[in-house]
Amino acid sequence: MPSTGVKSAWISGLAASGAVCAGIAIGSRGFAHFDPELIFYAIGSVLTAFAVAFRFTTWSQRPPTRIYLRRGIELLFKGGLRRPAAVATIATADKYVAQNFIRRRSGYRWIMHLCLSGGCTLAFALTFPLVFGWIHFSPLAGDPEIYQVNLFGFAVDRFHIHGLKGALMFNLLNIAAVIVLVGLVMAAIRRVTDAGERATQKFFEDILPLLLIFAVTATGLALTVSYKFLNGAGHHLWVVVHLFSVLALLFYIPFGKLFHMFQRVCSLCVALYKRAGENGPRAFCARCGEDFTSAMHVKDMKGVLDELGFNYRFATPTGEVHYQDICPACRRRLVALNQGASLGR
Amino acid sequence: MATLTLKSEEAYIDQFGPTLNYTPVGGWDSREPDKMVKTHCCFCGVQCGIQLKVKDNRVIGFEPWEEFPVNRGKLCPKGVKRYMQNEHPDRLKAPLIRSEDGFREGTWEEAYSKTVSEIRRIQQSYGKDSFAFLGGASMTNEKAYLNGKFARIALQTKNIDYNGRLCMVSAGAANKMAFGIDRAANPWSDIPKTDVIILTGTNLAECFPILTDYIWKARDNGAKIIVIDPRITPIGRTADLFLPVRPGRDSALCHGILHVMVKNGWIDEDFISEHTEGWDAVRELVKKYTPEHTEKITGVPAASIIKCAEIWGPAKKSMLLHARGIEHHTKGVENVLSYINLVLSTGRIGQEGSGYGTITGQGNGQGGREHGQRCNQLPGGRDINNPAHRRQVSDFWGINETDLPGEGLTACEIIDAIERGEIKGLLSISFNPLVSIPDTARTRKALEKLEYYGAIDFFLNETARFADVVFAGSLQEEDHGTVTNGEGRCIRLNQSVTPPGDAKLDWEIICELGKRLGQERHFAFTDPGEMFKELTAASKGGPIDYSGMTHERVEREHGLFWPCPAPDHPGTPRLFEGGQFAHADGRAKFHAFEYRPPAEDVDQEYPIFFTTGRVVSQYLSGTQTRRIGSLVDQYPEPLCEMHPILAGKLGIKDRDLVRVATRRGEMTLPAQVVKSIRPDTVFVPYHWSGKKAANQLTNRRLDPISKIPEFKVCACKVEKAGSR
Amino acid sequence: MKDYEFFIDQSRCIGCQACVQACGECDTHRGTPMIHLEYVHRPTGVQTAPVVCMHCEDPTCAKVCPADAIKQDDHGVVMSAAKPRCVSCSNCVIGCPFGVPKMQVSFELMMKCDMCYDRTSVDKKPMCATVCPSEALYYGPRDYIEKHRRETPVNEFHFGRQVVRTKVNMMTAPSRGEINVDITQYMSGAEAEIDPMFDARDGAPDAARFAVWEG
Repeated sequence: MPSTGVKSAWISGLAASGAVCAGIAIGSRGFAHFDPELIFYAIGSVLTAFAVAFRFTTWSQRPPTRIYLRRGIELLFKGGLRRPAAVATIATADKYVAQNFIRRRSGYRWIMHLCLSGGCTLAFALTFPLVFGWIHFSPLAGDPEIYQVNLFGFAVDRFHIHGLKGALMFNLLNIAAVIVLVGLVMAAIRRVTDAGERATQKFFEDILPLLLIFAVTATGLALTVSYKFLNGAGHHLWVVVHLFSVLALLFYIPFGKLFHMFQRVCSLCVALYKRAGENGPRAFCARCGEDFTSAMHVKDMKGVLDELGFNYRFATPTGEVHYQDICPACRRRLVALNQGASLGR
Repeated sequence: MATLTLKSEEAYIDQFGPTLNYTPVGGWDSREPDKMVKTHCCFCGVQCGIQLKVKDNRVIGFEPWEEFPVNRGKLCPKGVKRYMQNEHPDRLKAPLIRSEDGFREGTWEEAYSKTVSEIRRIQQSYGKDSFAFLGGASMTNEKAYLNGKFARIALQTKNIDYNGRLCMVSAGAANKMAFGIDRAANPWSDIPKTDVIILTGTNLAECFPILTDYIWKARDNGAKIIVIDPRITPIGRTADLFLPVRPGRDSALCHGILHVMVKNGWIDEDFISEHTEGWDAVRELVKKYTPEHTEKITGVPAASIIKCAEIWGPAKKSMLLHARGIEHHTKGVENVLSYINLVLSTGRIGQEGSGYGTITGQGNGQGGREHGQRCNQLPGGRDINNPAHRRQVSDFWGINETDLPGEGLTACEIIDAIERGEIKGLLSISFNPLVSIPDTARTRKALEKLEYYGAIDFFLNETARFADVVFAGSLQEEDHGTVTNGEGRCIRLNQSVTPPGDAKLDWEIICELGKRLGQERHFAFTDPGEMFKELTAASKGGPIDYSGMTHERVEREHGLFWPCPAPDHPGTPRLFEGGQFAHADGRAKFHAFEYRPPAEDVDQEYPIFFTTGRVVSQYLSGTQTRRIGSLVDQYPEPLCEMHPILAGKLGIKDRDLVRVATRRGEMTLPAQVVKSIRPDTVFVPYHWSGKKAANQLTNRRLDPISKIPEFKVCACKVEKAGSR
Repeated sequence: MKDYEFFIDQSRCIGCQACVQACGECDTHRGTPMIHLEYVHRPTGVQTAPVVCMHCEDPTCAKVCPADAIKQDDHGVVMSAAKPRCVSCSNCVIGCPFGVPKMQVSFELMMKCDMCYDRTSVDKKPMCATVCPSEALYYGPRDYIEKHRRETPVNEFHFGRQVVRTKVNMMTAPSRGEINVDITQYMSGAEAEIDPMFDARDGAPDAARFAVWEG
C-alpha cells in the first residue's frame, strides 16, 4: 500500500507542477507577458506546487483522512447538489473567511489570524498572477498616465496612475504588508507573554513561520522604501533577499504549520459529516444507552481502526463486543471499575 | 429595630450577592505575580499551607506549598479556589448604615459613634449583660483573644460566645472531663503509624479531605479502617468494616463494642488501674449491651459489632477519630465520652501511633476556643468560674476581679435570650447564625427584636442584613497572625494584601470601639504581633500555655504544638505520654452514661430521621464559598439524599421535588435517590440560606453540658412535591 | 524532576474534585479543566473515577486524527490538539480507549490533559497530582511508590484483543502485570433499574455490600 500511496503522491505532485507550468504558459499567452526577472519565483511556485500536492495526497490517504474526504464528497453530491453545496458554501465562509471558530477561542487570536491570513491571501492573490504573467499592466498607447490592466492578455480595466485607484493598485502589496505586520506583532506578543503558548510552542512549528512571514513582509516593504524614498539605494540587494525569503516561505508551506490551510478542507467535510450524522441514525452506548455520536461515525471508526491495525474487540459470552460501541464516559467508568476490582475495592 | 428594609431576597442578592466569581482578578492572562506569600487556607481545621500569588496588592492565584508538613502541597477544591474570594465583587469596602432602603455607605466615624452610643444606651437602660457579643472560630488566635478581652473589659458583658458552640464544644467538654485538657491527643503524623483506625461521625473525605492521605497511608502500612456513619461516605466506601449506625444511637454502639471487648478480655487492666478512674461503673454499664441488644437500638448488625470489637480490641496500636457526627447531639458529650471509654479501656493512648482526637471543623476551631472567646473561659484556657483563674487574668489585665464578668450564655442561648427580649443589643463578627443555628424561623424572629445590631464582616452575610451598622472588616489574607489547627499546632498566617477601599482590619475595628468605650489603655494595639505577645503572656501557667511561642518561632518551625511553656520548649505534639493525664491526680476518667434517645425521636407522624452535614465544595454557612462560581457548580443546591427503599415507598424518583417537614419548618428540594444512606434516614447539607436552609428544620435542643444543638438528628416526614 | 512519573490509583479517590478545580488553573487551558472526575454510578454508591490522559505509547487518538493534529513530544507526552490543525471531528474523543479527549464544541477544538505541559516543562509537578488529597493521582519518583504502596504500578492495559501501553502508570494487585479491562460483568449497565434489595453495587465491592440496611 505505501508504494501505491507514494506513487499517487508523485503523480499528483507532478500533475500540480505541470498544471502550474501550463497555467503560466497559457495564462501568459505563450510567455508573451511572462516577466523573465520573476523566473525564480515561478520556479519556486512550481516546486511548491509539487510538494504541496505530494504532501496533500499522502495526507489524504491516511485512513481517517481518506474516510472524511470521501464521505465529504459523497455527502456533497448526495441527493441533489443544492443543499450540500449551500452547506459547503456556508462552511467555507464560516471557516475560511470569517474564521468564527477562532473568534470563539479568543477574540485576540481571531483578529491576529485574520490579519495574517487576510494579508497573506491578499498579497498572494496579487503576486502569483503577476509572477505567472496572468496579469500585467501596460501604459495606454495614447496616454502614458493611464494604465491598462490585462488579465490573461485581455484588457479588463484601466486606471490613472495618479488617481486613487492607481495609488491603490500600486500600493496593494504595501497595504497587505501592513496588515500582515499588525498580525505579526500581535502573534509575537502572544508568543512572548502567553504562559500556555510559551510552554508548548516549538521553533519549527510556531516560531519559524512567523519569522519567514516577517522576512517576506519586511524585505517587501524594504523594496518600496528603497525605490520610493532612497532613490533605489540597496534595491538590488533587497531584491535578492526578498527572493530568498519568499522561496523559503514557499518551501516551508508543505512541511510546517502553514500546511493547515490545506488541511482545513477536511473541516468542510467534517461539517457535512456532522450535519448528516445529526440527521441520520444515532449510536447508543452498548453499556449505558446514551446517545454519544452518529451510527455512521461508529461504523467508520471501526473501519479506520481495522485499517490502522487496532483491534478493540471483546469476546463475551453473548458474542463479540466492539469497544467502539461503548461511550467515552462508560470507558472511563470501566477502567475505574476494573482497577478497583483488581484491588477488591 | 432590626427588621429587613429591602423588600425581597432578590433585592439583597442584587446588591450584596452572592455573585459567582469565576475568573481571577485581571483575568486568566498575565498571571505573573509580584510576590508569593506562604500562608494557609482559610477553610477548615486542617489549615493547609498554600502560596498565594499576589500582584498589584491583589490575590491572583495560588501555587501549592509542598514544604509545609501537614498537607505537603495537597489541597481540597475549596483550598484551590480560596483565592477567588479576594477582590470579589461582593466585597464590602466601606461601612454600611441601615437605611429605609437597605443600606447606605457611611463613614467610619458614623459607624463607630452610632455603635458606641447604642451600646451605652442599651446597657444603661437594661444592664450590662443586655448587650451580647458573638464571635467566630474562623478568626485568628489574636482576634479570639481580643474578642474575649473586648467583651469583658470594654462591653463588661458576661454574654460573649462564638460559633464554635455549633461545632466542637461537645468534644471539648468531654475531653476536659476525661483527660483534663481540650486538645487532640496526637499529631496527625501518628495516623499512618497505627494498626486500626475507627472513624466515627466524620465525613472525613469531604470535610477534611487532606486527612484522607493520612488514613490511606495507614492502610498502605497495613492498618484496618472502621467507619461508623449513617451514610456511606467516600472514606467509608472501601473501609474494612462499615457500621451503618442509626442517627442518635452512637453511645449505645460504643457500649455494645465495649461489651464484646470485656467479654473477650481485650482490656488493658494494668493501664486502667494505674492511669484511670471510673472503670468499674463502665464495665457494669456495658453488661446489658449485648450485640443483639445493641443491634436493636443502633440498627448495626450484631455480627458487625462483634467484628468491630475483634478488630479494635486486640490491636497493638490504634487511633480513634471523630467529628461532628457524634458531637452534634443533645448527648454529644456522652457520645464522645463513650468513645473515649473505647480508647482508655485498651490503654492505647499517648503513644506513637496510638491515640485519639476530635477533628476540629472550623479554620481556627482549636485556637478559637482557647483564648477566652467563650462564655465560660478566660485566656490560656482558664475557667471563668475558678477564683484562682479569675484572679490571674484580672491581675494580668490590671482590672478588679469583681469587674470581671462571670459565666454568660452560650451562642444558642444568646439567640434564645434575644427572642425572649432579655438581650437587646448584639455585636457579631464572622458569624452567620441565620444560616447556622437550628430553627431558622426563631432565629429570624429574634433578630427582628434586637434594638441594635452591629455586624463585622467582609461580605454581607444573611444575618448581617438585619444589622443597623455593618463594619467592613477583613478577609483572612488581608491580615496576619496565628491559628491553631485540629492537631493543636499553632501556625502562622502571613498577610498577602491590605484590605480594599475603606475596609479595615477586624482588630482595628474592635480596638477602636474599645477605646471609644473608655478603655484606651487596654486596646492600644497597633499590630497582631503585639496581641500575640499579650496572648502568650496571658496564657502562661494556664491549662493552654502558649508562652514559649513567638510569631517568628511559629513560622520558622512550621507550627508549634501547645503546651509550649518556654522559648526553648519544643512544643508538645503528643499528649499523655506515659499515661500522664491533665487532671490533678494525673488519671484519665471513665464516664458511664446510659444510652438515651435523641431529644426528638421518630414517631408515627414524623417517621424518618433527618440529619445534616457538609459537602466538600462548601464551607459552613457558605458566606465565602457560595460566592465562588466553580465551587458552587460542583454542588449547586441542597439535595435530599434518600435510599431507594424509602423513595420507593413514598413514590419518589431521583431528582423529584420532595417536601421535607419537621415540627419547626419545611423545605422543598430535589431528591437524590442513592443506596449510600440508611433507608430510615434522609440527609440534607446545610450550607444554604433562606428557603434552602436545612436549619429551618433542625432542632435547637441543647446538650446539657456543652450546649451544642442537635443538628444531627430529628424527626421528619417526606412527601413528593412535584417533578422537575 | 526528569525521572518523575505519574501513578494513578483510582480506588483511593474520594471524589473531592480538587484535581478538577486545580486543572482549571493551568495556563494552557485557563478555567477549563481537562481532567475527568465522575461518579461511577451515584445511585448505587460513591465510587469516583479520576481520569487523566494516560499518554499511550502508540496513541489511538493521534492515529485516528484525520488532521495530524495530535503530536507526541520527545518524552512521550501526547499533546492537546494543535489549534491550527484540529478539525473537531471527534474521532479522538470516541477512539480513545480511556475516554480522555474533550471536544470544545464552540471552539471547534479538542483539548485534553497534556500532563500540565506548562508546569512539567519547567520542572513543576502537574497541578492535579500536586493537590490530590488522597494520592489517587501521584507524580513523583518510582522509588516512593515501590516503598510505600502495597499495590504494583503497571502500564499495560488489555481492551479485549487490543494491548495498550502507556506512559502513565496505574496501580493494581501485585500479582498482575497488566490491567485487563473486562466489560462483560458490567454490561448490564448503569441504565438497569436499581433493585434496592440486591445489595451488590454496579461495580467494585464496597461497604454497601456488607452493610445491612433494614427496610
